[in-house]
Amino acid sequence: MKRILVIDDEPIVRTSCMRALQYEGYEVMLAGSGNEGLDMLNKGSFELVLLDLKMPDMDGMEVLMKIKEQWPGTKVVMITGYSTVETAVQALRLGAYNFVEKPFTPDTLLSAVREVMENSGSRPKE
Amino acid sequence: MKNIFRHPEKFIAAKLIIAIGVLMVALTFIFWYAILTKQEKDIMSIALRYGGSFVHFTRESIFNSLMNVQPDETQRVLQTLGTPEGVQSVRIYDHEGKVLYNSQKNSIGEFVDKGSVACKGCHVSPEKSPALSQSVRKWSVYRNMQGVRTLQVIDAITNEPSCSTAACHAHPSNIKMLGFVEAQLSLAFLDEALLKQRLALSAYVVMFVLATSLSLGIIIYKIVSKPVSELVQGMEKVASGNLEHSVAIKSVDEMGVLAQTFNAMIRDLKMARDQRERWTQTLEAEIAKKTEEIQRTHVNLMQTEKLASLGRMAAGVAHEINNPLTGVVTFAHLLKKRFPSESEESQDLNIIIEQADRCSKIIKNLLTFARATPTEKGKVSINDVLNRTIFMVQNQEKFHHIKFNINLEEYPFVIVGDSSQFQQIFLNMFINAADAMNERGRISVATRKTTENGKPYVEIEFTDEGCGIREEDMPKLFEPFFTTKPVGKGTGLGLSVSHGIVKHLGGYIKVKSTVGKGTSFFVRLPLNEEGK
Ligand code: HEC
Ligand SMILES: Nc1ncnc2c1ncn2[C@@H]1O[C@H](COP(=O)(O)OP(=O)(O)OP(=O)(O)O)[C@@H](O)[C@H]1O
Ligand SMILES: [Mg+2]
Repeated sequence: MKRILVIDDEPIVRTSCMRALQYEGYEVMLAGSGNEGLDMLNKGSFELVLLDLKMPDMDGMEVLMKIKEQWPGTKVVMITGYSTVETAVQALRLGAYNFVEKPFTPDTLLSAVREVMENSGSRPKE
Repeated sequence: MKNIFRHPEKFIAAKLIIAIGVLMVALTFIFWYAILTKQEKDIMSIALRYGGSFVHFTRESIFNSLMNVQPDETQRVLQTLGTPEGVQSVRIYDHEGKVLYNSQKNSIGEFVDKGSVACKGCHVSPEKSPALSQSVRKWSVYRNMQGVRTLQVIDAITNEPSCSTAACHAHPSNIKMLGFVEAQLSLAFLDEALLKQRLALSAYVVMFVLATSLSLGIIIYKIVSKPVSELVQGMEKVASGNLEHSVAIKSVDEMGVLAQTFNAMIRDLKMARDQRERWTQTLEAEIAKKTEEIQRTHVNLMQTEKLASLGRMAAGVAHEINNPLTGVVTFAHLLKKRFPSESEESQDLNIIIEQADRCSKIIKNLLTFARATPTEKGKVSINDVLNRTIFMVQNQEKFHHIKFNINLEEYPFVIVGDSSQFQQIFLNMFINAADAMNERGRISVATRKTTENGKPYVEIEFTDEGCGIREEDMPKLFEPFFTTKPVGKGTGLGLSVSHGIVKHLGGYIKVKSTVGKGTSFFVRLPLNEEGK
């Protein structure tokens, strides 16, 4: 069972992610800000972090750098709006695995998640 | 010529003529006076000479009869001598003044007028003393009773040895003066001649003065007054703004030189004025052009400003909407999975998903519009992008009944920019054209090289045979959200996004449209020639 952490300041985006992924059998934890997410990462290990780029207090890019610093093995997929494609590209350079554009369908999200899981050699429980 | 003497102070010619006239009159008068005086003097001296010889001759004539004491003979000779018309009287008188003989016979024995030259010729005042005057003047001229000028001449009969020794009535030899011969000669003839001559001379002088003045006047008028007045007229005309005028003075003197200088000056003036007028005109045209440009720029600026602020707002809104939209999409999908795909619920959810999708597209467009800056800059070949876009479009159902007329100039139209943005512009043009033609008809696409203000431009033309654009819609065409299309078909962002992109690259979009016939869009972009 792979654990996924969703860090997003928007509750609806968080729940959307949780519901879409839970439906597929992943264990999903939610964090409303970068700090909260980092706390949760400290407490338990996660296979994948879904990270919103645009957040009020700690920017997604900053969170990404911290994650890559402390938990290099943890994969990060960025959630972006259209206008932040360049920053998404920058995020990829900083070590993010991929990114999904908002608004996404459960299928796009899942395929992005699956890609990560497959490459890391683990599958979600059926 | 007449009016120049009415105000002589205003005319050089009048002054000259008057000055010369006055001078001439004065000089001729002096000349005339001198001649007359000289003439009179000459005539008088002649008269005196004749008078002198006459009395001398008289004395000689009567000498013998006096000597021989023959009073009758003496009287006879005197009478004979007194006959000529000019001789008024010939008298012999002694030193006492007593007339002894007289050609007129009447006043014999009377005394002569001692105040006249008869005594005063030698004495200063004979009544008082016998003192002799310094200069002896034996003649005088006076007017007689009839007013006729008369020459009175005397001559002395001196005591000769033959007298003092004569036997008969010998004069004592100590007496020097025995008596005097006196003649009164009329000057009437001379005066008459003199008067005639005077009249003639005066007439000549007057005629001369008149003739010279007249000819001088005419000459001065011709040489000075006419050219001067022509010059003055010319100047007045010029002063009143008529620069076509030129003074027609052909002479080579100073006046001619003046006229030529004047004409040259007028020519220069005219040239300067014409030049100035041309400048003014070009300046006005330039100002009008610039004003229009400024107005256009201002309008564009306002538009750009409006677009920019709208864009910023739109971007903010779009970002915010993305989040709830994510929820809508996700939950609709999740819900859909719980129903069989044929079920009514599933179909309703499909509508939600579609509409959410539409929202998402609108947001994407909005965001593109908000940031019309190229993301991936590179050298883009306009012709290539056009060909690709046309190819892409031709495979779409929307364009199945549309014929493309492609006429691309073979030239490497290279622009540094984002090819996807160009594609977006072209795609919108094609979709707009197809919509305007109800998806049936012909779209002409052409590229050509033009120059504007010496800089190379590429012009991309999109012409359709569609419904055209109404005049009142023209100004709103590039405004965001302006659309005439039904809800769901157009967002009204296509042209405003295109405008933003083209503007950013230093170009512009021109529209020509006839309602019912069709529309042409011209996208003009500056070329980066050095980068080709
Ligand atoms: C031509 C010049 C001449 C005229 C004219 C003349 N006299 Fe004489 N008279 C003389 C001279 C000269 C003497 C000096 C004495 C002389 O030798 O006779 C003189 C002397 C006199 C004497 C001085 C008396 C004398 O005998 O010594 C008297 C008076 C006189 N004159 C009166 C007159 C009277 C009057 C008249 C006019 C009627 C007159 N004379 C005209 C020349 C003139
Ligand atoms: N070729 C054309 N012929 C006639 N009308 C046109 C043409 N191109 C544009 N228009 C008019 O200009 C309006 C604005 O065009 P624009 O491309 O900006 O928006 P849209 O096509 O309506 O929407 P969108 O491009 O965002 O889907 C159109 O709605 C239409 O009325
Ligand atoms: Mg359009």
